[in-house]
Amino acid sequence: MISHSNPFPLSLPDLERIIEVALSQGGDFADVFLEYRRYQAVVMEDDIIKETSESIVQGLGIRVINGEKTGYAYTNEISMDKAKQAALAAAAIAALPSPVKVKPLVAQEVTTDFYPLKIPPDSLPLEQKIQLVQEAYLACQGFDPKIIRVKAALGDVGQWVAIANSEGLYIAETRPMIRLSCVAIAAAAGRREFGFAGAGGRVGYDYFTEVKTPKSIGQEAAEEALTLLEAVDAPAGEMPVVLAAGHSGVLVHEAVGHLLEADFIRKKTSVFWDKLGQKVGSSQVRIIDDPTLPSMRGSYNFDDEGTVPKPTVLIDQGVVKGWLQDRLSAKLMGLPLTGHGRRQDFTSFPLPRMANTYIDRGEYSPEEIIHSVKKGIYAERFEGGQVEDSGKFTFTISTGRLIEAGKLTAPIKQATLIGMNIDILKNITMVGSDLAFSPQIGTCSKEGQEVPVSDGCPTLKIAKMTVGGQL
Amino acid sequence: MSREDREKKFQAEIRELQLMAENLVNFGQQMGADEVEVTVATGQEFSVSVRQQEIEDLTEANFRLLSFRVIKDKRTASANSSDLAPETIQNLMKAAIQRATIANPDEYSGLPASLEPHVDPASLKLYDPEILTMEPRSKIKLALETEKIALSDHRISNSHGANFATSVAAIILANSNGFSDYYEVTSFNLGVGLQAGGTDERVEDGWFSSRRFFRELDPPEIIAQKAVERTVRLLKPRKIKTQAVPVIFEPPMTAWLLGFLFTCVAGTSIYQKASFLVDKLGEKIAATNVTVLDDGLMPGKLGSRPFDSEGVPTRRTPVIENGILKNYLCNTYAARRLNLSSTGNADGSGVSPNNFYLVPGQLSLREIVSSLRQGLILTKTIGHGLNPVTGDISRGAFGLWVEGGEVAYPVSEITIAGNLGEILANIESIGNDLGYETAVCGPSIKVAELTVAGE
Repeated sequence: MISHSNPFPLSLPDLERIIEVALSQGGDFADVFLEYRRYQAVVMEDDIIKETSESIVQGLGIRVINGEKTGYAYTNEISMDKAKQAALAAAAIAALPSPVKVKPLVAQEVTTDFYPLKIPPDSLPLEQKIQLVQEAYLACQGFDPKIIRVKAALGDVGQWVAIANSEGLYIAETRPMIRLSCVAIAAAAGRREFGFAGAGGRVGYDYFTEVKTPKSIGQEAAEEALTLLEAVDAPAGEMPVVLAAGHSGVLVHEAVGHLLEADFIRKKTSVFWDKLGQKVGSSQVRIIDDPTLPSMRGSYNFDDEGTVPKPTVLIDQGVVKGWLQDRLSAKLMGLPLTGHGRRQDFTSFPLPRMANTYIDRGEYSPEEIIHSVKKGIYAERFEGGQVEDSGKFTFTISTGRLIEAGKLTAPIKQATLIGMNIDILKNITMVGSDLAFSPQIGTCSKEGQEVPVSDGCPTLKIAKMTVGGQL
Repeated sequence: MSREDREKKFQAEIRELQLMAENLVNFGQQMGADEVEVTVATGQEFSVSVRQQEIEDLTEANFRLLSFRVIKDKRTASANSSDLAPETIQNLMKAAIQRATIANPDEYSGLPASLEPHVDPASLKLYDPEILTMEPRSKIKLALETEKIALSDHRISNSHGANFATSVAAIILANSNGFSDYYEVTSFNLGVGLQAGGTDERVEDGWFSSRRFFRELDPPEIIAQKAVERTVRLLKPRKIKTQAVPVIFEPPMTAWLLGFLFTCVAGTSIYQKASFLVDKLGEKIAATNVTVLDDGLMPGKLGSRPFDSEGVPTRRTPVIENGILKNYLCNTYAARRLNLSSTGNADGSGVSPNNFYLVPGQLSLREIVSSLRQGLILTKTIGHGLNPVTGDISRGAFGLWVEGGEVAYPVSEITIAGNLGEILANIESIGNDLGYETAVCGPSIKVAELTVAGE
């Protein structure tokens, strides 16, 4: 359905020559990352389609690896001259000519399709995209008279990428992405609150009829804002926390995922660096990162270094089983590739990154889990989180409820939870049977590079965690 | 290439791109647009990271981006491209004019009505020609030296590495009201990230310096020393009980708070009713000692620019004066929506701060701490948890516990919760330690009370 042809005037022999220039000063490995991305967006606000925009991003990035050192250069002017200049700039990292021989490029077929879509992003006329935005907007606005403002936005991307390297690999594909989101502001009795909802993924426009309708996105945003109008302050201090299935996947992303990225392990900055094979969490905890789940934001047929990805078990029965690898870390650590070398775009070199990270399902029913808590909080939706290499992490609840005597009661306002990852993994005392993924709108930031990700988890009980509410 | 040759080459490139921008404005008008605005950014960047005294990565690049918006019958469409081939951008222009006809008319849309004169870009001192002569070797040396000094302290157990980055860029703007001008900016950043303590009791922090002129950058010794101090003071943290106490914000934390304040006074948030400061102009929203300014005209500072992304001259705008909310910060669109004037804060389709800062007071941080019987010095926050609609704040935090006017011990695994409106109203003291490491900045402050959640 999607075109995978090279939009640039650079043939495989041209790319080989560029790689030769990149390795002309020495180095162990070189690759070229080519990117051509089209983006279209529609914004509705004040009851009108306020603006449409379109964007074209093109460029190539050249990397030379010399031992532990990376030389990188990029340009958005695509020509043989500019590419050779960039290759020489990247080559400056290597000091001595080395015997690495550039292998002739052989185009590798992409044999999987993790984006099984019917209507590719660029095939739908703008008028119909506008209609989807209007549906979300009107559903949100019409949901309740207390909704005083709405903003709905749609963005879609077709990203063509190709990778050519000194080991003879050439591989290319087009990756789709759509995101439809809606913001609502509700007001009553002098209070104003904000609600947000969104959905999408590596999908086609068929998603909005077959999986999730714009109407339901608009309504969810309205509901969140309305719920918050009734919310009370979250309590403050240590208490049991039950995390709802789906949205709470951000916990696994922040508390565990980042610190199992191989660069932090090899540099020994992660608390996990010396814990491979050790039990760090409750036996109920199994954590997997899987870039091969169809249609998810973090999915790809090959990573941004051309590696075909595999589902990677990170933690099994509470024991650390593996790391997320890119080429550089895998080589330096003498471990196999997992297909987690990702980059924001052609301006950035790859880093080990998460794709779709989740805690596997357990045996408790969600009701049982809630029922087991006398006094605590139930976290439903999240704004995001952050982690330090030291293991301290936070995530912020945008909506949740109090748990009193085993029952969900009043909605609570935004609150930040903080913990130390190893304590939290040990404190996961109940894992639910209801695995779900969070809405397909997540973006992960690391060293200034943003990549699309998703995460998931079943209902979880954490025996105690510090909740940052009000006294 | 000599410095003169490089300078000449860069100037020639700017002239060529300015002509391209002007031509695209004309082309858009010929194709039927009522108004056209074209921006081109071009430049080079360099970045080197070293870790454990080895180069980890080195990046060199040239970048170019052209962006434009067109208005036809009060309908707006925009586009941008890093492919500057004439055919590509002309096709994008034609497509945008076509797309504009699909959007709805918006009476507030359009370019700034009149052309106001702006200051001579050279007078703002944003461009350091030294950037053209610095060799990669001397840049690498700076990063190596900074990390080496930091690692020589035996309390430092690991390093996230040191980084030195420079950039030079020219921003070119042309529009259909006859505006056509450009300015050049340079930046220099040197920083280091550190860890102290064993694997399971690790703490981390760092420090950096960021300037438009190389000679104004802090030297490696100062940056390394500050990074070490900031890191080791966090060693062996304790947990504290949940309580409400006075909190001192160090300058980076005041800057963080002001970043949130900017969102809440941005004209775009105000007309969208997405701020707790809607309809509060002229009201007292902060303690009387609080004055916050947005000033785009401070020579050499990171947030200075002669004109904003719409060509509106930047200026000095009082945002809060002696506790009174004086101005929202607007682009042309938000200003029209709110029946105000643009304050020269336009940035793309939204707004951004110029130099947005809290005016310093008289006290040193030392004096503020010694006035505190018991409380927290906030040194870092992590996570999300800022809600502009309500002003509510909830973040993971790190800090130093103060007893009897002295730092007693570090604390971690805490959160702070409060409300920006209440914090502003309860600023009891303001320090004299305003640096300008970031465009949004402020001195140390002491706030009467925040909820700190721990055990």
